[in-house]
Parts: sequence; C-alpha cells; structure tokens
Amino acid sequence: MSERFTTPDVARQLDDCTFCPKMCRHACPVSTTTGKESQIPQAKMDRLNKLVHEQEPWRPDTTEALWACTGCRQCTVYCAHDNEPGLVLLAGRAEANKRGAGHPTLAGYGERFRARDQRLAADARERFGAEAFASTGAIGFWPGCDSLDKGTADVAAAQAVFERLGLGPVPLIDAGLACAGYPLLAAGLPDEFRWHAGKVATALRRFQTVVIGCSACRHAIHALYQGEGITVGTNVVSIAEFLATHADKLPTPATKKRVYYHDPCYLARSAGVLEEPRRVLGQVADVREFAWSGVDAECCGGAGLLPKTMPAVADAMARRRLSELAAQGGGTVATACGTCALMLRRNAPDGVEVSDLATAVANLTDTPFTPPAAPADEP
Amino acid sequence: MVADADRVRRELEGIVGPRRVSVRPGDLDTYARDMWPRLLLARRAGVAPTMLPTAVVWPETVREVAAIVRMARNLGVPIIPYGGGSGVCGGVVPRFGGITIDTKRMAALRGIRTSDQVVDVEAGLSGERFERELTRRGYTFGNFPSSIYCSTVGGWLATRAAGQLSTKYGKVEDRVAGLTLVTGTGEVVDTDGPRRAIGGPDWTQLVLGSEGTLGIITSARLRLSPAPQLKLFRGFEVPNVAAGVEALRRVLQRGLKPAVVRLYDELDTFVNSFGDHHYDPDAAAWGHTHAPVPLPGEGALPPLPPPPRPTDDDGPLERLLGMVRKTRRGLRGDAFTAVLDRPRLVNRVVGTVAEKIARKGCKLIIGLEGARLRTEVEAALTFAELERAGARDLGEEPGRAWLARRYAVSYKMSPVFRDGAFVDTMEVATSWATLLDLYHSVRAALGKHAVVMAHFSHAYPEGCSIYFTFAAHAPDQAASERLYDQLWKDGLEAATRVGATISHHHGVGMLRAPYMAGEHREAMAILTALKRSFDPDDIMNPGKLGLAARRWEAR
Amino acid sequence: MTVALEAALAAVVGADHVRPIPGQPALAVTPGSPTELADVVRLTADAGAAIVPVGAGFRAARVRGLGERRRVHLSSERLDQVVQLDETSMLCHAQAGLTGAALEKILAPRGLSLGDYPPGILGSSLGGLIGVRTPGKSSARHGFFEEAVAGVSAVLADGRTIHTRVAPRRSTGPDLARALCGSEGTIGYITAAVLRLHRRPEARLLAAYVLPSVDAAIAAAFLALREECAPAGLRIVDATEARLHFPEAGLADGQALVVAATAGPTDLAACDRDLIASAVAAEGGAVADLGLAERWWRRRLGTEPTPEPGPTFQASAGPGQLTAAYHAVRRAVPAARLHVSRFDLDGAVLFATLVDASGDPLVGDALTATVARAEAAATAAGAWLLGARPTALDPYLKALRAELDPRGVMNPGALTEG
Repeated sequence: MSERFTTPDVARQLDDCTFCPKMCRHACPVSTTTGKESQIPQAKMDRLNKLVHEQEPWRPDTTEALWACTGCRQCTVYCAHDNEPGLVLLAGRAEANKRGAGHPTLAGYGERFRARDQRLAADARERFGAEAFASTGAIGFWPGCDSLDKGTADVAAAQAVFERLGLGPVPLIDAGLACAGYPLLAAGLPDEFRWHAGKVATALRRFQTVVIGCSACRHAIHALYQGEGITVGTNVVSIAEFLATHADKLPTPATKKRVYYHDPCYLARSAGVLEEPRRVLGQVADVREFAWSGVDAECCGGAGLLPKTMPAVADAMARRRLSELAAQGGGTVATACGTCALMLRRNAPDGVEVSDLATAVANLTDTPFTPPAAPADEP
Repeated sequence: MVADADRVRRELEGIVGPRRVSVRPGDLDTYARDMWPRLLLARRAGVAPTMLPTAVVWPETVREVAAIVRMARNLGVPIIPYGGGSGVCGGVVPRFGGITIDTKRMAALRGIRTSDQVVDVEAGLSGERFERELTRRGYTFGNFPSSIYCSTVGGWLATRAAGQLSTKYGKVEDRVAGLTLVTGTGEVVDTDGPRRAIGGPDWTQLVLGSEGTLGIITSARLRLSPAPQLKLFRGFEVPNVAAGVEALRRVLQRGLKPAVVRLYDELDTFVNSFGDHHYDPDAAAWGHTHAPVPLPGEGALPPLPPPPRPTDDDGPLERLLGMVRKTRRGLRGDAFTAVLDRPRLVNRVVGTVAEKIARKGCKLIIGLEGARLRTEVEAALTFAELERAGARDLGEEPGRAWLARRYAVSYKMSPVFRDGAFVDTMEVATSWATLLDLYHSVRAALGKHAVVMAHFSHAYPEGCSIYFTFAAHAPDQAASERLYDQLWKDGLEAATRVGATISHHHGVGMLRAPYMAGEHREAMAILTALKRSFDPDDIMNPGKLGLAARRWEAR
Repeated sequence: MTVALEAALAAVVGADHVRPIPGQPALAVTPGSPTELADVVRLTADAGAAIVPVGAGFRAARVRGLGERRRVHLSSERLDQVVQLDETSMLCHAQAGLTGAALEKILAPRGLSLGDYPPGILGSSLGGLIGVRTPGKSSARHGFFEEAVAGVSAVLADGRTIHTRVAPRRSTGPDLARALCGSEGTIGYITAAVLRLHRRPEARLLAAYVLPSVDAAIAAAFLALREECAPAGLRIVDATEARLHFPEAGLADGQALVVAATAGPTDLAACDRDLIASAVAAEGGAVADLGLAERWWRRRLGTEPTPEPGPTFQASAGPGQLTAAYHAVRRAVPAARLHVSRFDLDGAVLFATLVDASGDPLVGDALTATVARAEAAATAAGAWLLGARPTALDPYLKALRAELDPRGVMNPGALTEG
C-alpha cells in the first residue's frame, strides 16, 4: 500500500493520467459542479505533470487547478491504474508553495491556522466549562474544529447520547488544540503539519480511546501521522464507529422517521467506515440512500481547503449534493462529520434539514441536551 | 486568426457574466484537445498545442447559446461545441480558433414522458450519470459506449455513437425522437414530431452525426426502454474467425437480437486470455474504501519526481533496460512495446502460436437482456443456433467476466503511450458478403507496420462492424506522426476498396476528414448543401467533416 | 411545349417514351435506364422546365403551384430490374420503378421478403415507397419502410447521380440517404435503392380477442409492445367496423376486437402471441374465434376482398394520445367505421372509413364536411394528420433545395410553397 509514496510510482501516475481517456471524470464532484474541463482529475494531473517536467512555469495562474480538489477519492473508484490524484495534487501544492507560487488566499495560512485553532480551543473551554475537559483518561472526545466552531450543539448532543448509553460523561480533550491538522496538509504545508501533528499526538496518547467527530481528523491521525513518523498508539475511532459498538443499546422509536445518510468522503472512501453509521442510524430511523452513496457518495465540498480557495464552488457542491432531496420536496439528512454537517447546513435548500449523526440520534430517541451558551464576546 | 480576443471575451461576458467565460491559458490548453491519439504524440513530446480556442464559455440555457452563436456570427468567429472531449478523432480541435462552448452546465434530465417512454435531456449530461438516473427510475437508454464514463449525451448525438449493447438497442440514431439545435444562424429549432406523419426529410437524421458543423445540439428527446428484467451472458468458442462470422450471421438473420455479440480474432483472444487473471475484485473493493497508507517516515505526502535532466534521450539499450525494470504492472501494454518494432513478425507468429499451440480458437461473447419471458426464449434460440453453427459453449463465466471488465480497454491506452508507443482503434463496417475481405485487407494493410488485433461486434442482419486495435512504435514525435498517418491511410483505403464504410461509430473529426470524399463521393453535394443551409457563414466547427473552409483557410 | 425539348428528350429515351399530355404544358417521359434518366433531368433543367415524379405511389394532385411552367412528368416504371440480390447479406439492389409487389414476387421463391409491411402499400414503386412518407408505410416488426433502405441512388437537379454507400450503420456525418427519404423527389429523383430483406418466417401465428373497450384494447397493445412483443400485424377493430367485417364476433357497442399475427422462429412467435394474450387478459379481454383473425389476414394479403371499401381518413398518434384521438374522432363521425393499426412504440394509426348512417360511402360536400370535422377532432386530441409537417424547419428545407436546385427543377410544387 505504500507504493503510492515512491517517486517512480508518482511519475507513473502522472503519465497514466496524462494519456488516459478521462475515465474517472464523471465522478469528480468539483468538475461536475463547475463543468470545467480543466478541473477534471485527468486535467489536474496533466497540469501537474507539465509543471513537474518544467514544460510550464510554477506560477499562481498555472498552478490554479491543483487547488480544485477536495481529496474525496471518488475518482479512484473508477481508476484501473490505482492512481491517487487527490494525494499527488497535495504534493503539487506543497511544491507550489516551495516555489513561491502558492494560492493567493492562503498567504500566511500556517499562522492563521494556529490562531484559529487556539481561539476555538479557548472558546470551547468557555462554552463548556473547564470541568468538561480532561487531559487523560480511558476515553476522550475530540469533536473537530468545525464542530467546535459552528456545531457546539452537536457536541452537547453527542455527550448526551454517550451518557444515555451509559458511557458518559466523556470529557473533551484538554490540549489547547481543536484540529488534528489535516488543513495544513491540504494547504501544502507538510512541515507545519508534522509539527502540529506532534502536539496532537502528545495529547491523544494520554487516553486509551479517543472518539473523533471529524472524518478528516480521523484519517489524518490513522493514516497520515505515521507517514510523518508520528505514532499515537491510542485507539482512535470516529463517533460513528464508537456509537456502532453500542448501537443495540439505543432505544428504538415506535415509528421510524425517514432519514437520508450522507457519507463523509474521509470515512467512506479513506477509512472504510460505511456500515457503522448506517447501523447506528438504522436503530433509530428508516435509513434512505442518496442516488450516489456509499463508495459513490458525493463530496460536500468542505475538504481540500476548497471553502478557502474556491468558496463559491464549495458551496455549489454542497447545494448539488442536496438537490436530489430538494427535487422531491425536502427531507432529513444525517451525516457523521462536523465539516459535512457545516457545509450541508449552510447550503441546505428549503425543506431540507441537516443533522449531525449524534444530534439525529439524540432527537430521534428524545434524549435531551443543552447547547452550550455562546462565549461573552461572540456577536 | 480571429477577431480581437479581448473583444470576444467582453461580448461573452455580456451574455453569461464574468464567471462563465475564460481566456486563461490553462483552460484554452485543456480545451484544445480531445482523446485523439495523434494529439497525444505531441503532448508526450512536450509540444504545446498550436490550435487553441480564443475563449471558452459555459452557457446554462439554450437562450444563452443562441445569443453566443449570433454574436459569433456578427464578429466572424468560429464556434466549437465541446461535451466530454472524449472523441478520438479531434472533432473539437479549434482549427481556426474561436469560441469553445462547453455544454456541461446544461446537464439536466428534465423529465420522462411515461406514456411515450421518452426522456427530455440536456446535451451536457454525462453518459454514466444519465444512465444511472434512468436505472433509478426503472428505465435504460441502452447506450453503453466504453466511453460512458467520460462522454456526454450531446457528444453521442453529434457523432452517432454506439454502445456495447447496440445489437439490441441500436445506435443512438435509432433512439432519437427529436433534437433541439441552435443552428449556425443563431436560431433555435426543434426536430420533434411523430416521424410517421411528417412529409419531407427526417431532420433528426440529418442533424445526428453532424459533429457540430450544422449547429450545436442543446437537448434531445430520447426513446427509453424499460430496465431489463433479465440479463444472460455467455461465452462460446469457435475454431476460427470465418466460423465465428458465419455463426453470428445465422443468429442475426434468424431475426434474433442479442444485446452483445463480440467475436475476438485469434490474436485478440490470445492476448485477452492474459488480462483477466490480474483482476482481483476484492482488492479493487478495498482500494475504493481505503486510502493508501504511507510507511512510517515515508512522509504524509508522496514525493514528486524531480525535473528532467538535460540529456534525456535514452538509447535503445536504455529503453530496453527500462522496460525490463517495469515488471510489476503486468498490463498487456508492456508485452506490446517490447515487440512493437517487429510488427509483421508478431502478427504472424503470435497469431500462429495462438492458433496452433494454444489451440484456443476464437472467443465469442454473447449477451441478451430485456423483458424476462422474451429474453429467455430468445436466448435459448440464440445459444442453440450458435451451437448448431459449431460454437462450443463455455458457460456463463466468460460472459460475466467480460461484463465485469467491460470498460477495461480504455485504461490500456496509458501504459502503451507511457512506454513510448502508440495505440489506436479503427472501426469499420460492411455487409456479411464482404466482411471477411474487409477483415483480411485491413489487417494486412495495418499489419505492415503495427501489431493488429480485431474483434467483430455491433452486428446486424445485413452485416457487422470490425474493431481493429493496432499498436506501433517509432523513435520520435515526427516519425510517430508519419507512421500514424500512414497506418490510417493504408487501413481506410483498404476498407474503402472493399466497399466498407470508414467509420461505424467513432465519427470523422479531423482524423477521417481527408477520406470523406472517398466515402461519400458525389453525395458530398448533399452534405455541402446542408452545411450552407444551416450555417451560411461557416462558423460552426469549420473545417470538419471534410467540408471546405475557404473562408478560414485564406487567413 | 417547345419542340426542341421534346426532340431532345426523344433522342435520349426514344420517341415511344415521350408523350405530350393533353391540356397541360407537360410531357410524359419514361426513361429506360438510370443514365437516360439523368440525361432527362439535365435537359429538363437546362430548358427551364420542372420535373414532376409520377407513377405508382405519386399522386397527381401534388402538381400544384406550377402555373404555366413547362414540366416533365418523369416516370421510373421502365427502371424495373433487380440489379443484384445478395442473399448472404440479405440485401437487394433494385431499380426504383419496380413495385414492392413485383419485388416480393421475385423474392418469394427464394424464401425472402421485404418484410411484414401492409401488402396494400406495396402497389407503389420503390421510389414512391421511399420518396413519399405516409403513416401506413410501417410494420411493427421492421419499423418504417425507409428503415429498410440501406443505400439509395438518385439524380440531382444538375443531372449528377449520387449513390450513398451501403453499410449497416455509419458515423460519417449526417445520414445523407435520409435527405431523399420522404422528400418527394424535391432533393433528388430516386433511381435505385438497396433494401434490407427478411427471411420468410418459420412460423406465423394468428389470434383474435374481444375486449370490453377500445381503451382496454389500446392499453393491451402497448402492454405487449413494452414486453418487447414484435407482432407482424396488430389491429384493433371497433364495434362499428366489426359489425360489417366480423359480424359473427357479435360485438356489443363499445367493445373492441383485436386481431394479431406474430411471426418468426417458432418459439419466438409463440412467445409473442402469449405476450399479447396475457396483455389482453390483464385488460379484461377473452379469446375469440381464430377464424376472425384468419379472415383479417386473408383480406390483408389480398386473397379475399374487403367488403364495401369507402373514403378513408387517417391520423397517427403517440401512445399517450391514441385513446383520446380515437374517442374524439368517434364522437365527430358517429357513423364511421374505425380501426387502429400500424402499432409500434411510437404510437399507431387511426383509420376511419367515412360512411353515412346506412353504411353508404359519403361523397361530395357531405364527405368534405365530415373530413373537416374528423381532422379538427383528431388534431384537437393531439393526433397528426396525413401529410402534416412541422413547418418550423421549412426555411432550412427551402435553403437546402435552393442550394441543390437553384433553378427549382425538382418537383417544385411539393412540400413547401414557393
């Protein structure tokens, strides 16, 4: 599996894409949303191939296409070359940064990331109170930065569900950190990523089990940390996997509401987590599938730093994801990632209700929870 | 070459706004090519395309398209429609610059009239997405080209595409109830109407296949079939090509319509027998749900290859050593390139080996699908007819294996090009009486300089299509292009000599334009008249389909 | 008519085959070969006269709007040879003057046929069958007649002869042969065609059914067609027509008789017949006497005369409009005898024999008024009338004709005005 990480293999991947009749293109959510040929996986890789061969100079306008990807891996489902465009493009971003051709909106991103991370951690302490945090223990909860930013109600709901299942109270992890660092990699800053990952790993090692609310965090910790030589040792699971092991303890409502499940890409196609969230949701709801679901799930647009580099496209992707429900007059969606919840909620058409998995479970089992109060200085 | 590019951009922005127009080099470069293998020769040599569009625009409504065409007419600027850019003939290459209209933001499946089983669909919708949506609703359009993942409905209509199941469902031109077209005058016309009652030429049939030279198709009404209730796929073996062809003729002329018929000649059968062993469905499934994980310390990101060193021209020994090193991939492409410099020898030897030593004969894949009852009856009759014609039943497994890997061939292109060779396909068709002549003459013509294999598919009561795959190698771009052109000239002239058509379903584009006069002879007068009627100012994809482009050539 | 033109034409085809037509500035010319025909067109064009295709399949009424312009009524009847019969490919290259019926007689001893087209249409020459499109020229199994055309030869206005390449299917641009199909000689005069043939079916099975209503019968027909049934013939006869043609069926008002023929390999023909039977049963129908279907088939083949024919009215409709069209016409012409046939997945054709209350054919003003009522009713219900054309593309048709025929030689009075 580490074959993808050797230079000859990357060279082969770039050439395979250059000469390929674009077999994966129908499955790229970015280019399907924009309609732009230069944003299909084949064209993005071809562009990187030209840059690597110095057939084109590394400039912001020539490296633009490298940023038009969320790393969702839907293209790999249709690739018989075993290519990983999402990963290779990240390497392209890193190279672009090194050569001073980074994305204009990401100038000084490392600093901005750190500042946001610290702010979110501090705000969370204020909202939930110091007593909700612990720095060590059998089990800890890492909601992820987008949940701590815009989804604190979901955090409260998760904790209420943990309690209901007899697991709680599950403390939030006290480390002054909110994010596991994936956005730094998406920004093409592998050194910053390694440094940040080290800090996160230190905090996580003090727990036996860590429950993660963000799909990209889970992937980063499981797969990408070790590439940077950072081992965690702790049992790190997504909230979907965690709840699944206790799913049979969930009460079953008399009538099950119809709920569509949206697979977060970093669970379904990076971590193989497909069945667990459905098992959890299936206990409390009548689970329905989108037309493109499971291994074919379509990205909400929230990854790859797209909301920073191409915000209109990212939002359009989320809208497109929900258009199927809009066309049938509305519906309820549950998803198992804080970023997906944020993107889909923000772009939900009328009649479409979006919920985090824990919040959906809480609501459907009449488990009360109290969203924390806003910090004093929030508008 | 064309009117001031800045003026064009401003005019386009006046119609669609600034976000859906681009003059960025990255976009112009991407839209300069489709999947015509000849264009890949330049790409591989690092040569940038010379024929670029002036601008690319993404309209969202037919009204915007009409406004763009009218503006282009006023300004004297060509228009090139672009769907998936998956064509293999260079049909979207902007020979004289101009505005490339990308149809992919008009991609709605508008609705299905259940009483007529007709779907109204916009041209920019991807084939795979179209078919999946139909399946969800209990229908199929029945068109499964090996490019279904990368082509659009509009592209199918513009080229008269065929799918792997065309023997049952027909080519696309057999399933169109009507089209909406923006003509070269900027007018929007519909060709709908019940065919049976209409006097005058069938306009739908005159627009289908026009490859953007009469107008740009923006939407269509297509005939659907109910999703098949039953699918029966099987493999057979026949002693040789002639026996296989005869077996197919008998099936089709009995009035039976299997969905898939694929007869592989000896070399294709032989080579195919290597491919399937490498497919591990479990590994594929794992790869879809799990991202690759780096080894500790390898780095979270893969390393990019370093820029090329100044002297990069490997001699033959270096090349050979390089090929020996590439042992892992196991795709047939590597087997090809090692022997591509001696094609005649290969064609003869491997063909003989296949026939004599392997004693495999020719493989025949047959598939039927459709309404349960009738499909069962038709399948029983078809399989019995094949056996009566001397075919040996190999059971369901080869049929199912083919179905599981039905689009695999498209992925074979990359390794061949990567290794310095080129591969292309030539699909011609003729009546049964001349089919074997066609097979032997084209094979001989191509076999002088390339390794050739062929399969027969898309069968009809009166004839059949032959799909030749040929691979060759030449030392550099110029030599490769010369060899490429020579192969096509030899192959198509051989086809025309026996009375066959130069293209069954890939279309004309730039590749076959020089051969259109030989294909149509005096009937070109009708094509020229059509062109002048629909596009009096010759702005619609000028210089394609073998039509003269005097207005543009002079510049 | 100028003597010069008559003499020139006689020099080409022989004086026996040029004849002035009394009362018109017209000559009837019958060339004996495609080369002669091409010369005739060229001479006619050079003389500024017009070509009017005549013969089996072309109605004289189509000559309109020509005023005093000289014209040549050009007939292909002497072009009646089978040029080549390719039994391996089941293709027949035949000259355009041969009638469908004559060709069938040549093919029958070899076990071949043009297909299950309604025998009534085969009185036309091949040129007429291809050049003039009417709703009746289709078969459920084989589609429209022009789909049998694998290639066509025609003479253009400038006397050039074109031949479209014969191939099962192509992607070499628009299908140029289709410019000639249905265009009534305005694009080119068809001199020969290569047609797709069919083997005589191994089995032909007939069946008859009675259904509670025409609606149920129409529903049953499309139910069977959607199960991929491909009948050789299918007809729904309403009670008014059945009372005359099939009295022993004893249909009550509102009921419908369905007669069907299926053909092909024995098992497939039987399967198709069973599909129709199941569809009929699903719609509440019952099996009727086989003799009714046999009589229908004999009349269709022409081996038994059809009693009391009369003036007919035709309208075609898609599956979604057919029932409404039937009822609309039924209401508009209560005495008419109606049946529906020429089924395919695109719809079917409604045929009405226009008679008065005592069953006598309508004539004169009564006929004209009745036809007008029927047309209005059919159109309002979404059906299409014979010869109707979507005129939106007429400017393109005119431009196409002007490009190929700047002098307006080829059947100028047909299709579009002017």
